[in-house]
Amino acid sequence: MRSSIRPDEDEIDRILSGEGEILPSSGFAVSVMDAVRREAAAPPPIPFPWKRALPGLVAGGLALAVVLVAGIVAIVQFGRTATTAQFSMALPSGMPPVFHGRIESAAIWTGMALVMTLVSVKLSMRLASGRG
Amino acid sequence: MSASDDQSDVERVLAGDIPAFEGIVRRWQGPLINLAYRFCRDRGRAEEMAQEAFLRAYRGLGQWRKDAVFSTWLFALATNLYRSELRRIPARTMSLSLDDIAEPADARASDGGLEDRDRDLAVRRAVGTLPAKYREALILFYFHDMDVPTAARSLGLPEGTVKARLFRGREILRGKLPQRLAVPRLEEA
Repeated sequence: MRSSIRPDEDEIDRILSGEGEILPSSGFAVSVMDAVRREAAAPPPIPFPWKRALPGLVAGGLALAVVLVAGIVAIVQFGRTATTAQFSMALPSGMPPVFHGRIESAAIWTGMALVMTLVSVKLSMRLASGRG
Repeated sequence: MSASDDQSDVERVLAGDIPAFEGIVRRWQGPLINLAYRFCRDRGRAEEMAQEAFLRAYRGLGQWRKDAVFSTWLFALATNLYRSELRRIPARTMSLSLDDIAEPADARASDGGLEDRDRDLAVRRAVGTLPAKYREALILFYFHDMDVPTAARSLGLPEGTVKARLFRGREILRGKLPQRLAVPRLEEA
């Protein structure tokens, strides 16, 4: 390692390895041991309440899956409707009746989302307050 | 400092004898504070960082696998902590740039010990302004008496990487402090 060192490298080695040592302050070990004793006396951390959280997590997961499937189905249906609408726009027959149906289904989905949000907020508040 | 003392103290602490940890603290307080000081250049902060290192060592004593010497494990743990602490709150010297470390107008003009001390201080401060990977390699290398394998173990890096970083770190220092490092040191008669 030191066979090919240059004089200035030797100088860097001398300066950086010759640094004086500082002594610990007199109460350092005592203060560390106080902290260690506090640590040892502290109660163990509260474990995550898996038993309580599991039903909520499962319900949330299922709800998410249902929403995803419903979303995919809605997108597929929308694609078909759009194709039909394009086709029907070519016809001079006014507004297609399916347009009204889409507003209705959007209202239903919005209502379901609001209900789901309310239920999940209530459930999590109940669990957090320890009444669950 | 005996490795068997460390091992027996660790076993006692793990068996529930908490005061036995004091033996470990008393044996390693000097090295851990000095290592922390080289990272942060602040005595008070060095003691706080060393205290946190001891606390983490206490919490993680069970994770020490006895295939390595206790001090190797302790230094690696402390080095990791000091590095992340310095990333969180950088030391004052790191907020300087290398260009802020003053070069003398004429390095040969002044004389003797005062200039030597000035130069040593400037070089040490310059180490603090290096990019972290070079700074850490230099700190650990010189702290461990220029022992590359030990420095590499503390940093958790391959020896080759540490050697490359030492080389590059020295190159940057030489580039930034050409006059200070060009001054030939007068041998005492």
